[in-house]
Amino acid sequence: MAFPLPRGITPPEISFLAEMEMVTVLPRQRLDGLELLGGSLPTLLPPRRTTLPLWLALLLKRQRRANILPPPWLHPESLELILEIETQNDEYQHAFSPPPPLPGQPTLAHRDRDRDRAVAAPVPRYTPDGDKYYPTPPFLPQNVARDHIPPGEPPALPFHWLEVGTMLLDAASDDLVEPDQTRRLLKELREVRTAKIRSGVEVLDAAAVGGGGVALTGVGAMEVGEGRGFIAGVVDGLRRIGASKEQARREELAEEMANGGYDASQDYEDDMEF
Amino acid sequence: MMDIDDILASVDRTDTSTPESTALDHQLLTRFWVAERGVSELLPWPAALMERILDRLRLQIETIEDLASASSDPMYTTNPNTNAPPTPATTTNLKLSILQTDLSRTQYLLRSLLRQRLSKLTKHSMHYLQLISSSSSPTQHPSSQSQSQSSSSEAHQEPIDSVPAPPDPAADPSPLSRQEVSFLHAHQTLLANHHGASFLSSFPPQLRRLDDNAGGTSMVQGPEGREVVFVRCVVEEVRVVVPPGMGWRWRLRARCLGWGMFGRLGGRG
Repeated sequence: MAFPLPRGITPPEISFLAEMEMVTVLPRQRLDGLELLGGSLPTLLPPRRTTLPLWLALLLKRQRRANILPPPWLHPESLELILEIETQNDEYQHAFSPPPPLPGQPTLAHRDRDRDRAVAAPVPRYTPDGDKYYPTPPFLPQNVARDHIPPGEPPALPFHWLEVGTMLLDAASDDLVEPDQTRRLLKELREVRTAKIRSGVEVLDAAAVGGGGVALTGVGAMEVGEGRGFIAGVVDGLRRIGASKEQARREELAEEMANGGYDASQDYEDDMEF
Repeated sequence: MMDIDDILASVDRTDTSTPESTALDHQLLTRFWVAERGVSELLPWPAALMERILDRLRLQIETIEDLASASSDPMYTTNPNTNAPPTPATTTNLKLSILQTDLSRTQYLLRSLLRQRLSKLTKHSMHYLQLISSSSSPTQHPSSQSQSQSSSSEAHQEPIDSVPAPPDPAADPSPLSRQEVSFLHAHQTLLANHHGASFLSSFPPQLRRLDDNAGGTSMVQGPEGREVVFVRCVVEEVRVVVPPGMGWRWRLRARCLGWGMFGRLGGRG
């Protein structure tokens, strides 16, 4: 009654989150800097490129006060490549194309080479309360225009690819390269990936047993959000069916722990994000 | 031993009035909102963060009001002090619309967050009331206390008596905020009175309590702690182990091979 929405953020709320993604704009008029609640807005000076949140970029774009520079992945060539990985590559027959690397993480091309080497851990920021903070999408620059893309870095779909792509096609199609082609490719990618999600429900059984989990690496925010209700429902149903087996396992584990066989020396870390 | 990063961080985290701090708090609020929307139980109230955000919100509303009243002022457009051309009204309007959009977005986040929390609180009101009253007076376990009361004294047999007393105002009411505690208590008192007046008064006295646990089954339901959750790993490896005997939280031992893994983990009680 107090709140009608189901648990887990819904697709409109995911779009709201995606509007916090940073994009690059080319302002067409001067505007002094402003202090916003989401951080400060730099002075807009044409023709200097500026990075703005997507909601603001769209607001300026609708009033013809700025042009949006499309992110490198939202380009027919990049999308063709990603689509090829999704459909032709055997390795990704049942998996999703790799997401863009997070800060400190090696890119896919270097991953195999760097595996043995210790990867430089990213420096966390600290909150005023003293906790560690690692930024995640939508607060990573996954959608800003880049002049120089290092060789060996394949294009990758960012976490909010579907939402950002759709919104840019909607409001700023004249700023995109071949918008019709881009629209078609986005649609194809969406269909291919939706089919993968549907065929993947078989593995949900693994998530229903205690401690089990299913990795969703590379799945976009909207794709998770759309499937959330159904997936959570299936797993919950399976969990209830297997509850008696689960109970037996739990007792076994509790006994094991009582006998001191349980490794309780592992440390807790608060780097978990729901 | 303290890491050099920790030392650096302790230096720059003290000042919360910088724009960087504003942006960080905005990200923290967004993350907290997503988390609160995603789990079945109430998450601990981030009092310090909320205080900072609400303060900024008040200041921002004042700024917007000042700007709006200045732009409607006829003196503003013909500024006698400068020879520069007057500020075009469109720029002020643009500024205002940007500031207002930004304000509304933050207000939306806060509203959605608070309403989600209220919805969780009212759904499991007795559970949370017992939780905060038991944490403030750990010697008295609420269920055993209520059981002994219901069997021994016949005087405490109205539904209203089963509502736990509000905790000591000085005590930390985590995971609720103080406002939520007073709301929840008022809400449950009203509800208990209503239940009592509408149908519980016609029941035998021993069946009138709202926290009856006769037969080993408690009437008070808490949130389902074994539901699946969607987890986003933001670092290379996370180890969370909750002993299987705890019974209220899932156990999780995740080893993420890549960051950005969005794993879903099964429940374990």
